Amino acid sequence: MQSRRKFLQQTSLAAAALITSNSLLGETTGAADITRLTILHTNDVHSRLDPFPMDGGKNQGLGGVAARADLIKKIRSEEQHVLLLDAGDIFQGTPYFNLYKGEPEMKAMAAMNYDAVTMGNHDFDGGLENFATQLQFANFPVLLCNYDFRGTPMESKYEPYKIFNKGKLKIGVTGLGIEMKGLVPDALYGNTKYLDPVANLNRTAAMLKKEKSCDLVICLSHLGYKYGPAENKISDVLLAKETEYVDLIIGGHTHTFLDAPVLAKNKNGADILINQVGWAGIILGRLDFEFSKLKGKNLSTAHTLVVGKREAE
Amino acid sequence: MRKLFLFSHFVAISVLILSCHSSYQAKSVQYKDYRITQADAAKTSGNADIHALLKPYADSVNKSMNDEIAVAATMLEKKQPEGPLGDVLADAMLAMSKEKFNKQIDAAFMNYGGIRLSSIPPGSITRGKIFELSPFDNNIVVLKLSGKIVQQFLNHVASRNGWPCAGLSFQIKNKTAVNIVIAGKPFDEQKEYVFALPDYVANGGDDCTMFAGIPQQNIGYLLRDSILQYFFKLHKEGKQITASNENRITNAE
Repeated sequence: MQSRRKFLQQTSLAAAALITSNSLLGETTGAADITRLTILHTNDVHSRLDPFPMDGGKNQGLGGVAARADLIKKIRSEEQHVLLLDAGDIFQGTPYFNLYKGEPEMKAMAAMNYDAVTMGNHDFDGGLENFATQLQFANFPVLLCNYDFRGTPMESKYEPYKIFNKGKLKIGVTGLGIEMKGLVPDALYGNTKYLDPVANLNRTAAMLKKEKSCDLVICLSHLGYKYGPAENKISDVLLAKETEYVDLIIGGHTHTFLDAPVLAKNKNGADILINQVGWAGIILGRLDFEFSKLKGKNLSTAHTLVVGKREAE
Repeated sequence: MRKLFLFSHFVAISVLILSCHSSYQAKSVQYKDYRITQADAAKTSGNADIHALLKPYADSVNKSMNDEIAVAATMLEKKQPEGPLGDVLADAMLAMSKEKFNKQIDAAFMNYGGIRLSSIPPGSITRGKIFELSPFDNNIVVLKLSGKIVQQFLNHVASRNGWPCAGLSFQIKNKTAVNIVIAGKPFDEQKEYVFALPDYVANGGDDCTMFAGIPQQNIGYLLRDSILQYFFKLHKEGKQITASNENRITNAE
């Protein structure tokens, strides 16, 4: 009983300290309550380590990891809170992959300090065992909430989500993979099970927002931006409408160059943002979010997001 | 008194739990796309880490991939329902399949998504370029198909706005294939036809479910090798790679 009382006393002291510090913060006004997060993102880089050659082709001189790494380094030096994310199809597309099976791609991404990635259909191209093997060179997690990898070489090499603490912000990141059947040869995905992306994303996002108190939930999606009406296939555009508790979808697969991120309404009428930056590392996407302190904890409120083009450089 | 004491602790702990993370809400977002250009690349000599990391890989890739395989006479573009790049690649596939499988083959098809570059500019075509064009280690397989399956497959291709092909022509009408001509003769649904396909397609890739259960002849011949060998053969004969516009697949008006 003595120790229990002591514990309670210590706890109440800690609580008092926290309340004090919180109320102190609460007294400061305006700018102090605004906090920023910079999200940098790529998708479908497809082993494009070098820029496109200067051969008169449409993309000549564009892309390349060295220039991208420099830009990322510069932005990191200017911004306090940065997340660097990739929406899959890291592999396949240049002889680097044919010769080295993804090793230099992973090493380059590790050198750029990617924070998280999801898996694309072409990341299966060397076989699941190869992808799992190449992850030895990665220092970032592979996030997927709709693949069941039990009984495959990926079994212990992925996570359904990851929470990043950035200053006062808690950012939840998860990932969605595309259905393999009819896209990835059966032999390459083996025992991998594809699970419903909508249900699994919503369950993961609800947990991240409600139980884990994340301020922002990001989904890295390799489902593809949009398909024709005949194709009857889930895409980021359809997914966004069905979601709850997801704030941002960073997409891939369809190699879509969007002129600007697309604002959509989720199931509850709240804003959700979708972005995708083409392919081959031609573009590095940047999204600077500004957050303000939430008065009261009403998560179901359909909040709106103001989207603008960043002019300053 | 004791109850009150415990209650006050309960309140304190509750406050602690609720206040351990104050919520923030995203109010605004500013976006920017950085186009990674050659000018940026020129400035990256300072990025020694990445250059050092890539050098051994790049040296080896350059050594094995920079030899000239052929020369493109004009810009070869990837297009739907048909384009010059798809035409020359399908020509390569059909010609080399006939030679390697040593049999009559009526037509060759590849899936549109299987071509991984949007164009080949005029000038030198290196081995590496062919790898970028056709990076997958897909084998060519040869299948004997009933007329019924051929019609199903061509409808599938039509519904996907046309794929590169050689040895046949048709028109796309309401997402189906009409006016089909194979090996110079009007299509006959009662006949059998021999098709060369990437094993990816024959195994159900790009939702080609119609080939399930049909025997495949597979001699381990890579689709990419058919392109390399066909292009190199033309090169040795002093011929450049040119576009032919043969209206293989057109949209019916």
